[in-house]
Amino acid sequence: MSELSIVGKSVPKIDAKQKVLGQAPYAADLVFPGLLYGKIVRCLKYAHAKVTKLDFTEAAKMPGVVKILGPKDVTQKTYNTGVLDIMVPEPVGQMLGDLEDIPLFSEHIKHQGDKICGIIARTEEVAERAAAKIVVEYEPLPVYLTAEEAEKPDALQFHPAKPGNKAFQLPAAMFPNNVYGWGDAEAEMKNADLIVEDTFYVPKQKQCQMEPHAYVALYDAQGHLHCWTSTQMPKCVHPKLARLFGLPMSKVTIHQTVVGGGFGVRLGMISEPECCAMAMAVPGHYVKVQQLREEDWIASESRHPGKYWMKMGFKNDGTPVACQAKFKAYTGGYFTQASGVPFTTGAWLLGTYKYGACNYEGEAFFTNQVPCGAYRGYGNPQTNFPSEQLIDRACSKLGIDPVEWRLKWHKGLGDDTWILGFKYPSCAIDECITKGAEAIGWKEKRAKYANQTGKKRRGVGIALATHTSGAMPMLLEHTVVSVKVNEDATAEVILNCSDLGTGAHTALQQIAAETLGFPMEDIHMLVGNSDAAGFDIGAHASRTIYVGGLAVKTACEKVTAQFFERAAEALESRIEDLEMKNKKIFVKGSPDKAVDIKTITAMGVYNFIDPATGKTIGHPGQILGYESFFAPHHSPPWSAIFVEVEVDTETGEVKLLEFVTAYDIGRAINPQSVEGQLEGGAQHGLGYVLTEDIYYDKNGLCLNSNFTDYKMLGPSDLPPMKVILVEQPDPVGPYGAKSCGEMGLVNPIGATANAIYNAIGIQITESPITPERVLKAIKDKGMTY
Amino acid sequence: MKTRSITLYVNGEAYSLNVAVNRTLLQVLREDLGMPETKYGCGTGECGACTVVVDGGKSILACLTLAATMDGAKITTAAGLEKDGKLNPIQEAFISEHAVQCGYCTPGMVMKSVSILAKNPKPTEEEIRRELEGNICRCTGYVKIVQAIQKASEVMASTR
Repeated sequence: MSELSIVGKSVPKIDAKQKVLGQAPYAADLVFPGLLYGKIVRCLKYAHAKVTKLDFTEAAKMPGVVKILGPKDVTQKTYNTGVLDIMVPEPVGQMLGDLEDIPLFSEHIKHQGDKICGIIARTEEVAERAAAKIVVEYEPLPVYLTAEEAEKPDALQFHPAKPGNKAFQLPAAMFPNNVYGWGDAEAEMKNADLIVEDTFYVPKQKQCQMEPHAYVALYDAQGHLHCWTSTQMPKCVHPKLARLFGLPMSKVTIHQTVVGGGFGVRLGMISEPECCAMAMAVPGHYVKVQQLREEDWIASESRHPGKYWMKMGFKNDGTPVACQAKFKAYTGGYFTQASGVPFTTGAWLLGTYKYGACNYEGEAFFTNQVPCGAYRGYGNPQTNFPSEQLIDRACSKLGIDPVEWRLKWHKGLGDDTWILGFKYPSCAIDECITKGAEAIGWKEKRAKYANQTGKKRRGVGIALATHTSGAMPMLLEHTVVSVKVNEDATAEVILNCSDLGTGAHTALQQIAAETLGFPMEDIHMLVGNSDAAGFDIGAHASRTIYVGGLAVKTACEKVTAQFFERAAEALESRIEDLEMKNKKIFVKGSPDKAVDIKTITAMGVYNFIDPATGKTIGHPGQILGYESFFAPHHSPPWSAIFVEVEVDTETGEVKLLEFVTAYDIGRAINPQSVEGQLEGGAQHGLGYVLTEDIYYDKNGLCLNSNFTDYKMLGPSDLPPMKVILVEQPDPVGPYGAKSCGEMGLVNPIGATANAIYNAIGIQITESPITPERVLKAIKDKGMTY
Repeated sequence: MKTRSITLYVNGEAYSLNVAVNRTLLQVLREDLGMPETKYGCGTGECGACTVVVDGGKSILACLTLAATMDGAKITTAAGLEKDGKLNPIQEAFISEHAVQCGYCTPGMVMKSVSILAKNPKPTEEEIRRELEGNICRCTGYVKIVQAIQKASEVMASTR
């Protein structure tokens, strides 16, 4: 394999300089003439209520108020903020029972933060003061905060199509007996020598991206709707907004602004519909909506929490004969992604280990909390917490080393991935486990910590994870790339792939540069405009480098094919006899028989007719490489993570001492960028297992909608992190690359829980494992140290 | 609403303003002076995205500072660190060490780093991490931000 010149190098991010100067234009930074301010007024008093009176007369009189829109003043169409309606065929959506149940403004408040009306005003201050003058009266309704409460026979119905408030269950039409998996786990369980079983609580984690949500919309005099948004999926929001407002797509343009962090919260839409509705009420005026930080926890989607029951059966030699599991998600007030995550949660369980039989059931119930949507990991964090712990519980009882067990029983080449029937094309997990174990000092530490004394106890834990690179065939995987070559032999790569800060655009540019044989500076990425580029799903399911990269590579290969074709004409040679280097194509062995790419491209654009012959001089036509790419696979990455902790058995505090991740990346397009994804993901994952959850009082009102009380791990809380990248190129991915956007978040969870188990000999089944929970578990088990 | 006449020196330029007494420095910088690099992250002093430096070395939170109390202050923002077309060593290090992902915390982080190194040119890793507690990053896990500050500290020491 010839050496790569740009792929594999940690080139600086193409937008880094802009960002250190603070010049990157986020939505809130955009300046427009005559900008009006739109405020979405939300119900803050109740988590469940009917609006019985809504009166704007006083508010509307305030000087500076332009218009106020209530539920009847806007389209009565309802929508779903997610994009499953685009990513699965309609019959599948129907089988899944997907709902489009969110109105622009609600009269049946289903969670604190649900929207009641919109105020358009000349300034933010006027809008805020007018909001205080809105007269609204409510009839409070009973509040349901768990699936167990919502499914009671006397509970109020959230939606007529969902009796018992069961928003979703794996449909029997697609999953016999509502089960995803293989074999008969209940029957196989009878062959087990040891059964371990428990019910776990997994938390409602919040993405907490640093950029609060802001939007600008304009409905201009030509009836064209423009929306500036940091959505992760501009080309999915495009048809959704067009449909919602009854416009053809040619009359809607989505301008994707610089994304200040996504992690899934911006997967589809958040407040684009309300902002656009307000803009359409004042044609010709730009309207800006700026969400406040404290609204983020109650107005944009979170991870799916819930109760996760799991049961595993093992032979005495460690053979995993069966696994049964059921996840009951508390999906929040609206449907949003009630089908997606309860499905994938089980899919990840199915993809990781070689259970003799594995049966998973997934359900989602409406509750009076902010709806759940997409969050980095998409069900995999939920699965990692119980499954990795139950495995270690069995290992402990059977006297088997947790590293040895995983080396033996992980899935691999030729086994089914999370989509049964698809096989792993690559799997370097053995090298990951071995290198990671060595780096953390597994053997020595496990031996040392087996005999500890004192109030502070240390432990090391391991957890594996596998995930995906793009979501085919569960979801549509389609990316369109155009590579337009300028006459001076520089190129525009035009696409709608998103970079949420991940470095994806830089990596895609590296792939383009490598494939074209151009230096990085000769390529410009034209992104974020729904009119300029063709379809792309957007950033989710860790797809951008794998699917986007393959699409870019393919489009660029079409360009280089045209270079070679035209060079062969110019040099009167055969294509097979030519090679390209430093933007020059020459005859192999005769470097003086050459033509510059620049000559070819200039001739294509500035093409003249020779008056003497009447024929064109050289090959006419601007070179364009176009690819409408559908991914052929989803090559899952793998990793082994090791965590060392110290637990203070008197205070319950867990201190993170050391963290090692060994990651099967296939090929790191930009190694430091990959490290950044894994280190950043770990901060989320470690927070999931130690500190993060959204708390509510008994009335469903959020208790910690701020950074002080929603606890994320800070720079002094995080341990030193060692990242080991294992590169065994994948046969499918671009230059062998697999994904890394999500999975870094996943197995810090199981590894930390298992480290705590190793330290104190107790498994805590509720996440986050807070000091209170540690102390309670110690007390309940009567343990002394 | 009462107003006060103030002069702010921002990135070396003098600006004479008549501000309502309830306007924050963040609002004045972003809206009145049209300087978007100082960010609204939370508005309540919990995230550090609005960090600016005053009088050469002290970091303050613009969202909690009333502009009217800042008459005569010499304020530096991320846009003001460039000198003669050259980035400040901290900015260079943030780029070279891959400490920038989504970039939203970056201007505040960079300004906080300026104040850390102004106070203590050779901080230990532990000191850096403690000082950064008021600046939240949700992308990087802080690893490369800390490395960037360490690198900048070395570069600045060698050019002193």
